[in-house]
Parts: sequence; structure tokens; C-alpha cells
Amino acid sequence: MHSRDHRQILLSSRRARPHRKTCGSGVRALRALGILAAGLFVSSFLLTGCASGLRNVSQITVSGSTTILPIAEQAAETFMQQKQGVSVLVSGLGSSAGIEAVSAGTAQIGTSSRDAKAEESNLGLVDTPIAYDGIAVIVNPSNPVNNLTSSQLRDIFAGKITNWKEVGGKDERISIVNRDEASGTREAFSKLVMKSQAFDPAAAVLPGTGQVRDVVARASGAIGYISLGFVKPRFTNVTVKAVSVDGVEPSEATVASGTYPIGRALHFFTKGQPTGLVKEYIDFVLSSQIQDSVVIDAGFIPIANGGKQ
Amino acid sequence: MCAFAAVLAVALIFLFVGWKAWPIATDYGIGNFVFGKVWSSSTNTFGILPLIAGSAIVTFGALLLGTPLAVGTAVFLSEIASPRVRSIVRPAVELLAGVPSVIYGFFGIVMLRPLIAHFTGSLGFGALTTWIVLAVMIVPTIATLSEDALRSIPLGIREASYAMGATTWQTIYKVVVPAAKIGIFDAVILGMGRAIGETMAVLMVVGNAPVFPKGITAPFATLTSQIVLDMPYSIGLHRTALFAMAVMLFVFSMLLVLAVRLLSKLRD
Repeated sequence: MHSRDHRQILLSSRRARPHRKTCGSGVRALRALGILAAGLFVSSFLLTGCASGLRNVSQITVSGSTTILPIAEQAAETFMQQKQGVSVLVSGLGSSAGIEAVSAGTAQIGTSSRDAKAEESNLGLVDTPIAYDGIAVIVNPSNPVNNLTSSQLRDIFAGKITNWKEVGGKDERISIVNRDEASGTREAFSKLVMKSQAFDPAAAVLPGTGQVRDVVARASGAIGYISLGFVKPRFTNVTVKAVSVDGVEPSEATVASGTYPIGRALHFFTKGQPTGLVKEYIDFVLSSQIQDSVVIDAGFIPIANGGKQ
Repeated sequence: MCAFAAVLAVALIFLFVGWKAWPIATDYGIGNFVFGKVWSSSTNTFGILPLIAGSAIVTFGALLLGTPLAVGTAVFLSEIASPRVRSIVRPAVELLAGVPSVIYGFFGIVMLRPLIAHFTGSLGFGALTTWIVLAVMIVPTIATLSEDALRSIPLGIREASYAMGATTWQTIYKVVVPAAKIGIFDAVILGMGRAIGETMAVLMVVGNAPVFPKGITAPFATLTSQIVLDMPYSIGLHRTALFAMAVMLFVFSMLLVLAVRLLSKLRD
């Protein structure tokens, strides 16, 4: 017989039955694996239990918006260099996930690129805006369309306008790239552009700003929306084109002055007033050291420069 | 003792998930849940029919593409390949089973999706991309199990076939494969189990639009991909709905295991 034991491990326990008589050791190994898996399952519960009780040590967890990730990460790195023995963990799963995490106590700071909803602000969350941002509508660089009105945008994302020639482009089907419902960018776009109209449910849904950018950069008929800070090709060589909205080009100046129609604030949420290390980190993000370099470099607008919200 | 622990673990998981999912029956209605056509967490509408359809489309398409490939591989390995060739091909197939699914998904999104987007003028997300990725993923499962089934056919049957003047191909076609068909079917069902439960790779290439797909290059979603997408931020009824989807998947895989058991009985 060929190498049966070897393959026993590759395949699942369901294999065990037909060969019950010939391969006892394999079956035993699989059972052991099963127990190990059960053990892991249980211990993962215990571990999450511990993590939520953790709040005073020299570690803070920052979780939420993928838009805010570059600011939060860079600030965390510099912060950790300046304060030895402190660790700041930053992760991005979407604004809703961040608010959920800070409410549940699994993160000390929830980052969000949208305002807290009514039911969320009832949980005692304190909001610290850290920067302003515009949402750029992006298309493939090969697309001749340079300007879209708010109502055209609304109709495109609601699935009413389905061909680019209807808005002065080529005869090509429009492929919408949307964000997932945990996304603060989606929430803000929905509020500012869609005005409570529903998104086309058949649109592709991608779980991150970077993915939207990447897909739009490579598909000629695609349209999507991302934070203004991500339009410039900083980490890749693939480009996207940001169109003007209602004739206003998206830029830091137009967002700051409030003329660009799709602008919003970026938030840090804490449960109750920030204290101790959490407060130090937030103050650091608000300090000119971060605001004047990291925030601007990432393509956002410093909190001090206002932005008519 | 060990077996008891394993059974207990499964029972506990099922009880936990079922307990978490129960409110969907009382607060939302099982009928609305299973047969509802709209999934929209922001408006608390949780109909999973498009997701069930998505899971079915993904599974059967992948089987359709993957089964001939896998059974062909199995026939090659057990009937045709010389020991030398076999010693290279078999580890290669087994290696496919060891590659983490996120790697398949990554390959799908980086290589396959732009390719399909280029040729079809769509975004490249959708059934076609998913089928190809999943077909490759289920090949090792089906191929190794089918090969076992083929090898368990006694040598005498082949010799009898050759003695009657049949060629190698005729022997494979008309004698060996039909004799092993229950075993091969068994393998296909296990491959199906893998396809239905696959999450990470599917999430990356499926497009995640919770609707009935409008074509093989239009985005759609499956039960598993929707669970992953919604899990990080779900609260209340939404989370309950995700648990209820897990129960659905549990029931599906239980039915599959049951099918395999019945088939093994048939073979005995």
C-alpha cells in the first residue's frame, strides 16, 4: 500500500471509516486533533474574556476605520518611540467595528470616519474629532468623464444610471464598487450623496479602501468612492482619477473651505472621557507634530484648519 | 473517551449556535428568514434566500469544473502513471490540499480577477472566478479519495478485462471506474462539503453583493462570505441572523455527512 498514514493527516476524519481496520494510528491522531481543536475553541473564549478586562496596563488598542489607519498607525509608531515600554495596537475593520469594539471594551479607542448613530452615542461614547476628510469619487484613468453632479452620482449608485454614455462618457456599462456596511466612508457617502436613497444591492462590496482603489484602477467601467487621502498613489503605481462633484474639484483646499460637497470629520471615540495613556495618545495625535506632518501627508485636513461641517 | 470528548464538543457547539440563533425564529420568523429575498443589515432585513442560492451556485459550479479534473487525476495516478511519475504527481496534488485558503483567494483576486475582468468587461468578481478558484481547492480532496476507491478494486477484475481483449482505456472506462463509482461519488460529496464551507477564498473573489447573481461575472454573496463580512460589527438581531446562518450551514453539512454514511452502507 502507498503512503496512507501520510494522507490520513491531510484529509478529514470522515476518511477514517472506510479504513477503520487498517489504520488505527491515523484515527487516533485525528481524534487527538479534534480534542485539540475543541480546546482551542474554548481557550479562545477565555482569552477574549481576559482581553476585555484589560485596561490599565501600558498597552492601548485602537480599532476601527480603515480610512484613519495611516494616521493612527504612524502616530502610534512615533508615540511608541517616544515612550518606552508602551505599546499601541492599531487595527482596521471598519468604523462600525471600531465603535462596537470600544463599546464592548475590547478597544480603548474606536476610530470612525462617520458620526456615531443615536443608539451608539447612548452608550456613553466621547467623540474627539482628529481631522477632516473629503470623499473622492474615483473612476478608471481611461474614463473620459471628469465631472458628475450630486444627482447623477445618486442615480449611478442607486443603479438607475447604468451606462457611462448617459453621463457623457463612452458606451460602457457602469460597474459600481461599494463598501461594506461597517464602513464609515459608506455611511458618510450615503448621508451626504445618497440622501437616504438605497444603494444598488447588486453592486460589488469590498471590505477596504485599498481594495476599492485597486479594483477601480484596473477595471475600465468601474466607479467607487474613497477617502481623499487615498487618491494619490502613495504605496502603489496604479492610478485612479477623482472626478469633480458639482464642478468642484476634490482637494484639501476645497474640503477645508467647505465648497466640496462630500466632506466629513474623522473621529476617535472613547468610552467616557479619555484618561491616562489613552488621553496622552489622543493629545499626541492632536498635537502639531502629527497634525502638521502625518495628517497632511496622508492627504487629510488638520483639525485646526476647520472645514465647514 | 476521546471520541466522547469530540462528540461532546460538536454537541456543545451546536447547542451554543442554536441557542444564539433562536431569537431569529421568535423575533423575525423562520419563513421570512429562509425565504426572504433582501439582505440589508442597515434596515434590519435579513432574508437569506439569495445567500443560499449563492452558496449552491458556488458549490455546484465548482464541482462541475473540479470533478472531471479530480477524477482524471485519480485515474491517472492509480491506473496509468508509472511509480516514478506517481511519486512526483501525488505529493503535488497533496500539496494543493495544504495551501491555506487565503492564498487561493489572494491568487484569485490578484491574478484571476483582472484576467476575467479584462476578457468580460466586468469587475471580474462573481461566479466564474469563484468556480475556478474553488475547483482547484477541491481537487485534492476528490482526487485522493477517488484514487483510494480505484485502488481498492481488486487486480483480478482488471486482469479479467485484459484477458477478454480490452484495451487499457476500455478497462478504465467500462470496468474500473464503474466498479469504483460509489467510492468516487463519496469523494465528490466530501469535495462538496469543502466547497460549501469555504469562506476566505470565496469572500475575496465573490463580490459580496447579497443578491441573486445576474450572470456569471456579476457579484453575489454566499452564506459564509456574508457571515465574515458582517461579523465584526453586527449587534442584536443582526448577530442572531448570522448565528442562524451558521445553523443552516451546520444542517447542510450534516445532510452531506449523512449522505456519505448512507453511501458507505450501500458499498458494504
